[in-house]
Amino acid sequence: MPYLVTLLELITAIIALVAYAKYRHSKEKYFLIFLWYTLLIDVLGAVLGDIFYVNNNGVYNAYTISSMLFYFYWYYTILKKKVFKKAVIVFSLLFGVVAFISLCFENWNVYHSYTFVTGALFLMVLTLFHFHQLLNSNEVLIVKHKLSFWISTALLLFYVGMIPLFFLAKYTNIMGLSYQIILLSLNVILYGCYMTGFLWTKKEYNRF
Amino acid sequence: MDQEGIQSFLIVFSIIAFALALTVILLFAIFQKRKNKLVRIQQETENKFKEEIIETQIEIREETLRNISWELHDNIGQLLTLAKIQLNEADETCGNVSEASETISECLKELRNLSKLINPDTFTSLTLIEALEMEIERFNRMKYLETTLEYNLETFDLNTKVETIIFRMLQEFFTNTIKHSKATQLKVKLTYSEETLEIKAEDNGVGFDVSQLSRGIGLSNIKNRAKIIGADAIIESKKGEGTQFLLTYKNK
Repeated sequence: MPYLVTLLELITAIIALVAYAKYRHSKEKYFLIFLWYTLLIDVLGAVLGDIFYVNNNGVYNAYTISSMLFYFYWYYTILKKKVFKKAVIVFSLLFGVVAFISLCFENWNVYHSYTFVTGALFLMVLTLFHFHQLLNSNEVLIVKHKLSFWISTALLLFYVGMIPLFFLAKYTNIMGLSYQIILLSLNVILYGCYMTGFLWTKKEYNRF
Repeated sequence: MDQEGIQSFLIVFSIIAFALALTVILLFAIFQKRKNKLVRIQQETENKFKEEIIETQIEIREETLRNISWELHDNIGQLLTLAKIQLNEADETCGNVSEASETISECLKELRNLSKLINPDTFTSLTLIEALEMEIERFNRMKYLETTLEYNLETFDLNTKVETIIFRMLQEFFTNTIKHSKATQLKVKLTYSEETLEIKAEDNGVGFDVSQLSRGIGLSNIKNRAKIIGADAIIESKKGEGTQFLLTYKNK
């Protein structure tokens, strides 16, 4: 069952590759590399954990930090208001500090939950900034053809589900199969939105 | 999975499902509302634009009728009167018939010009420059003003509705010049560049104090119309130094 997520990632990455012509000139072009990178990380994690029986949390820690920084960078390029851009910089710095402290004081082989939660919360705020920007422009009329809208929706929904799951998993004895089912559902939403975005997007609306 | 495990799974699952559903509904509702509002605003703007076009066309028609009435009275009427006098004199002296015939042919020429102006196609088929040329030729012919029109050759096609509104703005400015400025000269210059059209019209009349007259109907009308087509209109004037009208239109 954990490989279903990897399969989803593979499908999304392939769709992103096929649809690349539609967004190659947009700020979203790096998502192609990012999706393949995500797939690679997951495969690496699976190989390390399930074949070599090595602790693979280090790989996921590295992925959490790099993916969050990638998202932050992307929002920095697409948000237009100066206040929003400044917020991205502040968020990135704070996130960097939290990640750095976790690196210093926590074992590399334990998943760094503070890093994840801080990044996720900041990212949700950024998706809201992006929605605010979309709502206040004429783009609201063609929003379903905009890749950036689908990416923001994907991220918002994923983390709206992920953060409670993260906390509730600590305080209830939910684990194993249950945890996997919910995680899989959230990933279906996340990659479902990505795929919809790549399939529906139109070249003329991704220029900026 | 034991009983407790299933229970906590259900709790966590429903909380997350609820959070997700709420987010989706909120997002959808907000985006939909905003979209509807925008569509409504766009429709209103479009309607306003249509109304403005109709009003502009009516005004141009009225202006044209007024011009025709002037021309009939001041120009053709005068010529015919002259011809009549010449023919009356011809009765006595026999010498002035050719003069009268010349006057009548001039009169016919004026009539032809006039009929061009009355033709309804004038309003729709002319380009901005052609319409301006006709207008300016009329000023020169009627000796209201000594008018010049300058434009560069690299023109681009404008939306006919936009052209109508621009023409009406200029016409309004010209009417003001003729009625109020006591000017003897009027210069109009159109500069087409890659994406903008710049129109400059200036007279050498008495001018006025912009700060006092800025609320005058004619001028505010011009400014409103500029706004509707998304152009910039500036009217500058000083007492005794003539009036300038500057219009910048960006072609989209």
